[in-house]
Formats: sequence, C-alpha cells, structure tokens
Amino acid sequence: MVSVADLLIDNRLPGNYFASDVYVRGTLELGLLENRRGDRLLAIPEPLIKGIYAGLDQETGQAAQLVLFNCGLWWGKNFYARFCEELTDYYHQPMAELSMAEFIQAFQQCWQTHGWGRINLDAHHRPQGFLVVEGKNSAFAPHAPKMDQPVCYLETGILQMFFSQLTGRDLSCVQTSCESLGHDCNRYLLGLEKRIKPVKAMVEAGQSHEAIMASLTGGA
Amino acid sequence: MNPKLQTLFDEPEKRYLGTEELNLLSQYVGSLPERIKVYRQLRDQELSLMQQVADQLQQAMPEATVDLQERAIKTALLVLRYSAMAMLLDDPAFVEQRLEGWLQPILAAYETQAIDTTLHQLLNQQLTQLLTTQQMGLLAPSLKQAQDMLLRSDTDSNDPLKSLVGVR
Repeated sequence: MVSVADLLIDNRLPGNYFASDVYVRGTLELGLLENRRGDRLLAIPEPLIKGIYAGLDQETGQAAQLVLFNCGLWWGKNFYARFCEELTDYYHQPMAELSMAEFIQAFQQCWQTHGWGRINLDAHHRPQGFLVVEGKNSAFAPHAPKMDQPVCYLETGILQMFFSQLTGRDLSCVQTSCESLGHDCNRYLLGLEKRIKPVKAMVEAGQSHEAIMASLTGGA
Repeated sequence: MNPKLQTLFDEPEKRYLGTEELNLLSQYVGSLPERIKVYRQLRDQELSLMQQVADQLQQAMPEATVDLQERAIKTALLVLRYSAMAMLLDDPAFVEQRLEGWLQPILAAYETQAIDTTLHQLLNQQLTQLLTTQQMGLLAPSLKQAQDMLLRSDTDSNDPLKSLVGVR
C-alpha cells in the first residue's frame, strides 16, 4: 500500500534542480553571477576563449593540447565534487542512494545550464566496456585553431576525470568526432586505459567514429 | 508570467498601452482571485486527493510493484505542483521550461508509462470532482501540457539511460 504522506516527508519532491531559469542568478550592478546556492559563476566571453587558444599557442605551441587537457582534468575533479555536493544537499541523501537515471539527468541539465552545450550518453557499447558521450554546441570547438583532428581537449579532460570519479576507476577519454571538423556532434569515448589506448592512433590516422567503434567492438 | 503579459511592460518609453493590451492585463488580473482559490484548494487537498488516486491505482493495477507505483505518484505530485504554479502565473510555457527534457528520459528509463497513463486518468477524475468546470478550465491547459509531455515520453528500448540504470 502506498502512503502519499510518507512520500512527502519533509514536504519536498526533488525537481529539476539545474533548470536554468532558477539556477542562474545575478546582480548586474555588482557584476555578480551566482547559482541558486550563492556560489559564484563565471561567464566567459568569446574573445577570451579565442585569447586563451592564441596565448597558449604562442607560449607553449604543441603542448597547448596537453595544457588544456590537464586543465580539464583539474576542472573535472572540482566540477564533480561541487556537482555531488549540490545534489546531495538538494536531494537530502548521499550520492550513492541516488538512482543512476536521476544522476545522469541532473548531469545533463547541469552541463547545459553551465553553458557547455547539450550532452547525451550512449551506453550501447557498455557491454564491451565503452561509454560514448555526445556533446553538441561546444563553446570551445568553434574557436580552437583549425586542425585535422578533434580539438575539444578541455572537455575531454573534464569528462575523463568526471567519469573516473563517478565509477571509481581510472578511465581514459578520447575525442573521436568534432564539430570543428564538420561532424554532427563531439563524441568522446570513455573506457579503461588499455581499451582506449589504440583509439588515439586511430583518431590520429583520421578514422571516423563509426569505423573506430566497428573495429573496437567487431562491428557489434 | 504569461509572455504576452510580460512584453507589455518592456517599452514604456515608446508609447502608452492600447485598449487591447490593457484588456489583456485586466483579464489576467480579473482571473487572479479564482486562480489563487484553485491553487489554495490544490495545495490543501494535495494529500487526500493523491491518496485516493494511489488507492484506486493499487486496485486498478495490483500487478505493479510498490516501487514503480511510488515513483509514478511522486512524478504526478510534481506534475500537479508545477501545473498549479503555471496556472497561477497563466504561463503555459512554464511546465515545459522546467520539466521538458528533464522528466522524459527518467520516465523512459523506469518504464512507468503504463502506470502513468492509468494514474493520470484517475487524477483527472479526482480533479473534476474537486474543481468546478470553470476552475478546471484554468488548470487544464498547463496540466494537459504536462501530462502530454509525460505520456508521450516514448519508452524507446534504445534509450541509453535505460541500460545505465543500475550501473552503480
């Protein structure tokens, strides 16, 4: 027998915590952007993103990719911690008790509200040990230096660290398709280091995401 | 607030509001006491209304697990609260803004669609008993929008979230 009163303990039902119109707040005259908890948010204009790429290129050359990837790892670690803290506070329960569906939904909305674009998870290849994350409308892809390879290094680092923390395993992440190359979305392939290692060479050889997945999973 | 109303206040420097625009405002203000009344009724009756729905649901679908029933009822409580707020604001887009895209994948992941369909029929029956036809007319647009959104959440067997449920 379902008791509705029991479902309404503390008189609250978790809703869409990261809904953009309630999550982002600001006091324009103070130049402040905040989230609904009062934590500071930072808005980055396009010229600054372009400037970061140009500055890194001038200062570090080829190493710019690695610098951005490492920044992503660092950011991803803190992002995961803040994300968990906010959800734990909002749901009044430890992260471990949150269902996976609710967790992923919150993550997608959080990603979008923070201006990183849309994100989807494709778990079709989970039995083979791979998770594909699909991102659209990246803020970084259009401003990165034009290359013949995917360029979302920052996001790759963030996702690698985020999902490593989530699963408690050291995962690797490689970007296999990119909006900057005219692909329909940015795809990031996640898995254990030994499984992901061969993918880097395939991407460098210019193989498509579909071809890479086919050779990894035997066409499955 | 209803976007049509909201835009009325955007450009006071350009001109005074016309008759039609003021009529729109009067209409909303005129309907506000009734909207507040309905809102108050929904708030005060939430528990008893939804308990009746829950009991009827149990009878109608005894085979559904308690866990799924609870999940569906929680979603219905949420939907009714958002619909009530949308009715208060006279903003049909409110429910969509807050719940669209967020609600559907979770529902698809848990496959509560069959329960949701029955539950919302029962809920609508209860609401017609609680509210007058005119009051129902105020609530119906936003509630219907929320229910349509909920029920069209296709239980696509390829939904990636479904295979992720239970990963942890």
